[in-house]
Amino acid sequence: MKKKNHARIKTSDMLKRALILLVIFGLITPFTFASGEHGEEGEHHSSHHEEEVADIIIHHIMDTHDWHFFDVGETAVALHLPWLLYDAEEGLKFFANTHALEEEANYIVHHDKVYKVASKEIESEYVIKGKPEEVAPEVAHEIHELEADPKFVVTHTKYVERDEEENKTTVNEFKVYKAAASSVYDFSMTKTGLQILLVAIFMFFIFRAAAKGYKKNEGKAPKGVQSFMEPLVIFVRDEVAKPFLHGKHDRFMPYLLTLFFFIWISNLFGLTPFNSNIAGNTTITVMLSAISFLYILRYSTADFWGHIFWFPGVPLPVKPLMLVVELLSLLTKPAALAIRLFANISAGHFMVLSLISLIFILGDMGHNAVGGWSITPLSLLFGLFIMGVEIIVAAVQAFVFAMLTAVFIGQSMETHGHDDHH
Amino acid sequence: MEAIAGIGIGAGLAAIGAGLGIGQLAGKAVESIARQPSASNDIRGNMILTAAFIEGVCLFAEVICLLAVLG
Repeated sequence: MKKKNHARIKTSDMLKRALILLVIFGLITPFTFASGEHGEEGEHHSSHHEEEVADIIIHHIMDTHDWHFFDVGETAVALHLPWLLYDAEEGLKFFANTHALEEEANYIVHHDKVYKVASKEIESEYVIKGKPEEVAPEVAHEIHELEADPKFVVTHTKYVERDEEENKTTVNEFKVYKAAASSVYDFSMTKTGLQILLVAIFMFFIFRAAAKGYKKNEGKAPKGVQSFMEPLVIFVRDEVAKPFLHGKHDRFMPYLLTLFFFIWISNLFGLTPFNSNIAGNTTITVMLSAISFLYILRYSTADFWGHIFWFPGVPLPVKPLMLVVELLSLLTKPAALAIRLFANISAGHFMVLSLISLIFILGDMGHNAVGGWSITPLSLLFGLFIMGVEIIVAAVQAFVFAMLTAVFIGQSMETHGHDDHH
Repeated sequence: MEAIAGIGIGAGLAAIGAGLGIGQLAGKAVESIARQPSASNDIRGNMILTAAFIEGVCLFAEVICLLAVLG
């Protein structure tokens, strides 16, 4: 018994060391206080060109390779994450940051996507003032065809230009490059990936503290983190797992708890400054629901499949129709899970950002001080309200995701006589 | 421009539908809790579950609208 304990301590020690190393490595490598890099990204980013508000909001929500925290004057404080690319010709390639990647001869980075081009010489360039479809339909058509053509890479930048009389025009800039023969795939750890790692480390320490508490306070009342976690875990067991899983809930508790706490904590992280939202990214939610789907399939019974392929209790001609309906509903369940989480979280961020942006829209991007100031109190108040709602939504979505997963697993586990429910 | 207007109207309609559904659901649920306070936990659980389904359908529509605007 003693020996076993000893071994356990050793592995946890090693885990701790590995985690600390990982954190130090993660902090040292990509952290750069880039001065003036904003302007270097491309001439379109220089200070007198404004972006449209909608583009700023979308850019803020999207996953990126540059974790931008804040600006001090003209200096952007950002975490520049490294790029890991797989070039079909040259194999794996590593770049310390976006800037290093842009200096390569064959790669261009546009809107945080990497493209491989034959050369950086611009084949042709279009600058259209106004909406391309309205101002120059033929040119717009031509650009559309170039964009669809795999032989060319087309970049599109949009900014607002003002003349002396403060008239605004949206300028669309298209640059056409010749694409390289081989393509390039991006495998780098982005902002979202790093954020997931941070959430995972945070969760690891919380749960380890709680688990240690159970060992220390055995037979006594819970203390500290433990007493915070215990009601939550019991809540998940009693409200999420128990009612739906036909008495076999213990087997699914690890997964359901992971789901609940991961989604909840990552949502809360997404609401704090300098952190990015994880669940507002379809990749993450689709992966989560895919794992849930695997659980549904893994624990499904013959009865469950029988109901899908040969629905009992309906006339024969209806059975093929029911097959289609049932198969669709089988796939809609995880799809709805993914979309619900994604839409709820990103909608909240959209709302808050739009309300804050109202100041800049009515303030005409700093050209109309009266308009900006007059809307500020209202927009801050509404923004604060939505933030409050978001805190509730963060927990509700975690609860709903875990509960629906439990419901679906429970449905697929069901074995019952056919006279029960029909 | 017409396309954008259509998307806006569609998003609004989806919200109206979900609002009606969740309103009905919550009204009935509160009514039944008032009738039978002892069953309030079960009713609340079912209410949240069904609300999540209704909301899911609405969000399908809203995401389609969002894609139509952005795409």
